Amino acid sequence: MSVTDSTTATLAATEGPGGRPATAALRPKAASRPPRRGLVRSLLRNRKAMLGASLLVVFVALALLAPVLAPGDPTLITSGGSQPPSSAHLWGTTAKGQDVLALTLWGARSSLFVGFLVGVAATIVGVTVGLAAGYFGRLTDDVLSLATNVFLLMPGLPLLVILAAFLPPGTGTVIVVLVITGWAGAARVLRSMALSIRAKDFVAAATVTGERAGWIMFREILPNMASIVMSTFLGCVIFGIGSQAGLEFLGLGDVSVVSWGTNLYWASNDGALMVGAWWAFLPSGLCIALVAFALALLNYAVDEVTNPRLRAPRRTRGDRRSVGAGTAVAANVTSEETIDPSATPVLEVRDLTVEYRGENRTVIGADRISFTIGEGEVFGLAGESGCGKSTVANTIMRLLREPAVIAGGSVRFCGRDVLAMPDEELRAYRWRDVAMVFQSAMSSLNPVMTVGDQIVDIYTTHLRLSRREARRRAGDLLELVKIDRSRLRSYPHQLSGGMRQRVVIAMAVALRPRLLIMDEPTTALDVVVQQEIMAQIADLRRELGFAVLFITHDMSLMIELSDRMGVMYGGRLVEQAPAAQVLADPQHPYTRALMNAFPPLTGPRTELTGLAEGVRFTDIDNLVEVAPGHWVAPVAAGSAAPTSEESSA
Amino acid sequence: MRFVLRRLGFYLLAFWVSITLNFLLPRFMPGDPVSRMFAQSQSRMTPEQITQLQQLFGLDDRPVWRQYVDYLGNIATGQMGISISHFPTPVTEVIAGQIGWTLLLGGTALLVAVVVGNLLGILAAWRRGGMLDSVFPPVLVFVGSFPYFWLAMGALYFFGVMLGWFPLRHAFTAGSAPQWSGQFVADVGMHLVLPALTIVVVSIGGWMLAMRNTMIATNAEDYIVMAEAKGLRPTRIMFRYAARNAMLPAVTSFGMSLGFVVGGALLTEVVFAYPGVGYQLLAAVQGLDYPLMQGIFLTITAAVLFVNFLVDLVYVRLDPRVRVS
Repeated sequence: MSVTDSTTATLAATEGPGGRPATAALRPKAASRPPRRGLVRSLLRNRKAMLGASLLVVFVALALLAPVLAPGDPTLITSGGSQPPSSAHLWGTTAKGQDVLALTLWGARSSLFVGFLVGVAATIVGVTVGLAAGYFGRLTDDVLSLATNVFLLMPGLPLLVILAAFLPPGTGTVIVVLVITGWAGAARVLRSMALSIRAKDFVAAATVTGERAGWIMFREILPNMASIVMSTFLGCVIFGIGSQAGLEFLGLGDVSVVSWGTNLYWASNDGALMVGAWWAFLPSGLCIALVAFALALLNYAVDEVTNPRLRAPRRTRGDRRSVGAGTAVAANVTSEETIDPSATPVLEVRDLTVEYRGENRTVIGADRISFTIGEGEVFGLAGESGCGKSTVANTIMRLLREPAVIAGGSVRFCGRDVLAMPDEELRAYRWRDVAMVFQSAMSSLNPVMTVGDQIVDIYTTHLRLSRREARRRAGDLLELVKIDRSRLRSYPHQLSGGMRQRVVIAMAVALRPRLLIMDEPTTALDVVVQQEIMAQIADLRRELGFAVLFITHDMSLMIELSDRMGVMYGGRLVEQAPAAQVLADPQHPYTRALMNAFPPLTGPRTELTGLAEGVRFTDIDNLVEVAPGHWVAPVAAGSAAPTSEESSA
Repeated sequence: MRFVLRRLGFYLLAFWVSITLNFLLPRFMPGDPVSRMFAQSQSRMTPEQITQLQQLFGLDDRPVWRQYVDYLGNIATGQMGISISHFPTPVTEVIAGQIGWTLLLGGTALLVAVVVGNLLGILAAWRRGGMLDSVFPPVLVFVGSFPYFWLAMGALYFFGVMLGWFPLRHAFTAGSAPQWSGQFVADVGMHLVLPALTIVVVSIGGWMLAMRNTMIATNAEDYIVMAEAKGLRPTRIMFRYAARNAMLPAVTSFGMSLGFVVGGALLTEVVFAYPGVGYQLLAAVQGLDYPLMQGIFLTITAAVLFVNFLVDLVYVRLDPRVRVS
């Protein structure tokens, strides 16, 4: 049971909304059909899997070789009862004088056989029921799910005991009874998996082309559940071996069969422990535990391989980081230069380089980025998805997590080195000095806390206000963004998308920060609500006078709102200038391509010209000032010539 | 409210299934086990009692549907017949005398395992790669691989027989009468330690791993990043934002694993001769006491379903999204 539970938890992890905005952008687009073959190969490389598999192989070999290693009938009763381990009987003898080693070896045969048979049978039933429920849906699903849930709730062992008591004793009975009580867990997990795969495009494609249901279920859906089926099977085998032992220990199996369970039954019946004959009792239990452990290891490895997030993070420079402790900063990042206090900008980013260090390769998220934002200024950062905009934003608040590492450069807020802040200072810096409106307001709010409590948290933490006072201020804050203060008691799911985004914006200005980072604040909203929100932000800015780092791929919106702006491509800044100047005279070809992506509504019709298919810029040089305040990366024929995607990838 | 009613309907259905199973088993099993039982114990019963048991097990010539209706009526009015091994005590009385011990043992063990296991899981996920995260899971998985009864026997041998720290059997010292005195409660406590501890040790790993994995998934959610950006204290983020959400699947699996824990408690009771319903169930099986066997099974099922219903009520309190829809 516990094994299936952990599998479900893993499932939830893979299904959950994508990771951090920064890493999400860099992740390759998911293929419509998930890869199938990697599982076995990945398992072969996994230490836990290999340990588990070798243990299992050893036990299977011992079971097969039992007639050779311990010839003759292991249950033969001799006069030398309860002998401790000796050269004649390596593991001692039972109260009846049977050789414990021989019993253990022979016992492996029945225990492994029953365990694997139960595993196979329960998995087959579970897969069939789960697939059918997930694939056919509607009434079939209702009936099958109901049956599954009823069986899941039945207390397993008491049901086993009752069934075993009524059925004639024997190994066959044990197997049947175990399958009856064991299939439901498998069916439940597989159904939810089948449901999620059924929604995928390639299944729809197969349906449209008129494939038969059976074909789709077993040839299209099943292969994509390989890892889940495997961990279900392993869970069922563990259940089978453990429950068989339990039943037999209670004397409900066939006690004349030699198995680990009956060995323990006899040991207990003969009072082995009461006379101190631990050797009669130890081996069989240890064997059950080792086999179950081997299976659990394998299962755990399957989980890890399919859900990389569960893998233990690699330790960089021996430091352990917990969530909330800020981004790892590479040791070589220092900034010794002194700042002239008179002209200190609100934010100064210099030569910032962020790397995502994966197991096999390192991706550069931001590459020597430099820009400044002055008091009350709106600075826009534009660029396509994955160009590193969000990476820069998250770095400023030091929100990046593994595997992101700040490899170089500096971030200064009003002259203070953000990357060097100790934990407590960082905590105070966050939200009070710089606040952020995230890409996904929908999911930025804690679903199980009221909106009010989430705002109150800010005041009680940073200003140490009493809860009452904090609540009053929270109400004022909501009214500032034109939401009724009675909404303090609402949960996020009770608000519309636009309201949620306004709540998030209200939260961002709660402490009147000097800099507000807005990472695509209106992406998920419709155009009308977008307009309202942007107008509201403009109002707030007039009132509170904060500087803004505004991130979007919507060039027209950006030019409208920003004082100055930068254009990013592939982790590099390619152009930086006052917004009006970018509009009037875009210099870099990529900037021009971005501008063209949003044709004007008025004027003559022109054909859309983006970057040609597969064109990429590589080795982008440092910016050069072409006009006062207008910086552009030089596009020389040699260094930045468009090259094909293949050669750069 | 609709959610609660739907769940209630589901549990009633599940209970009906187990009643029906109970009805069908003695009637359609090969080998006619019930007749064997009658042959063994007929001499001790009065004719009325025989008739009553025959009706309960369908050994008369009423049509099956009639038997079924009568059976449902009997269960509804709490008539589960007479125990044969405790002749002539009614089954309900035998169960009533023992269910308290099972609740004490199972409840204590479950509570400790759930609280400690989930806390360990939360902490492990919070400090990825730390001691808790790298050492505990494999060790607990290993310990969890041992059969309940085997660990129980080992603990009994080591702490009971060899070291003599704890009593070997039963729920209280033989001869002392159950009463509300400090001495008796302490005695019961001492008898409880070993059985409860073995259940906790075996089951805690599952709780910890499940919670850890859910927490890891939750930590990647946007609202955790936002909470971090808000500059909240790490403990506040960990409990109020991450664990509070990660708890929801744990609550669901709590109900699911209840049946499993009951099974573990049953085996543990047998090893420690703990006078609960599990111990009694085995005794009933060995004594071919079918009325008692069935009564215990129904009682355990009803208890598991009832606790699951309570868990659902708690879930509604915990997840505001369910409350409205």
